[in-house]
Amino acid sequence: MNITINGENFYVNDNLSLYDILENNYLNSNNIVIEINQEIISRNLWGETKVNENDKIEIITAVGGG
Amino acid sequence: MSLIIDKREYSSRLIIGSGKYKDFKQTNDALEASGAEMITVAIKRTNIGQDASKKNLLDYIDSTKYKILPNTAGCYSAKDAIRVALLAKELLNDNLLKLEVLRDKETLLPNEEETLLATKELTSLGFSLMVYTTDNIDLAKELEKAGCVSVMPLASPIGSGKGITNEKNLKKIIKNANVPIIVDAGIGTASDATIAMELGCDGVLLNSSIAMADNPVLMAEAMKHAVISGRKAYIAKRMKVSEFAISSSNKKDAIS
Repeated sequence: MNITINGENFYVNDNLSLYDILENNYLNSNNIVIEINQEIISRNLWGETKVNENDKIEIITAVGGG
Repeated sequence: MSLIIDKREYSSRLIIGSGKYKDFKQTNDALEASGAEMITVAIKRTNIGQDASKKNLLDYIDSTKYKILPNTAGCYSAKDAIRVALLAKELLNDNLLKLEVLRDKETLLPNEEETLLATKELTSLGFSLMVYTTDNIDLAKELEKAGCVSVMPLASPIGSGKGITNEKNLKKIIKNANVPIIVDAGIGTASDATIAMELGCDGVLLNSSIAMADNPVLMAEAMKHAVISGRKAYIAKRMKVSEFAISSSNKKDAIS
């Protein structure tokens, strides 16, 4: 299925959780927050939250800024 | 002598940004040299496909020692700023936020209407806001009325390093205020920070003037002293300016 992560298109297997998405993209799960379709998903729900076709996922962190 | 923001006391009146440094080590070295106790960070997308073992900015900043102040940089509407504010709260588990809503990607000047709108909305959601704004005297009061914990007018445009270009407005904002006034944006070098503090600002927030200096860590140290000097001079109250010379020694004891 097609999904978008941080504005980039990805084709991924069905039935993936948010944790699977992080693992498949070699992302460190510390110090990030995740939105699906502009709704924040709490960290404790990442394992049980499944990704659906056309979901827009944002993986957000803190970077340098003034 | 300490600065109180959102009921927390800070012995340093300098707040620094974490942008534009060569690497995280330099960020941390500058932070330490500056004596600042608060550091701003931006809330942005993470790099996809990065090395999972690669450290994040938050791994470098000791949050037990420094207050991390997330900002809403990159937002041009109240709606976007509220979205970023909620992400920041989820990420850092904290209500303190630097609200920044800009109007134009080139001028980077604050969008006054959207800033006020976002201030009202986020305050009602329980956020403690330090609000980046223009030097508009009336807006500063409106933001205070809306419940922000600090008003942060610019001294000149973001990243310009032009220094204090609006002394009169800053003075008036300070005179009217019941919340800390922190100059945010425009500081170019140490003397600019001193002038801001001599005017009576409660603090100074700066980033580029340290990060873009040839020697950022040394400039961070200079800024530390500049802010302390300016604050002391403000409290000491400067001498009156005289149109003509006044001798420093007593005329009657002159040898003739």
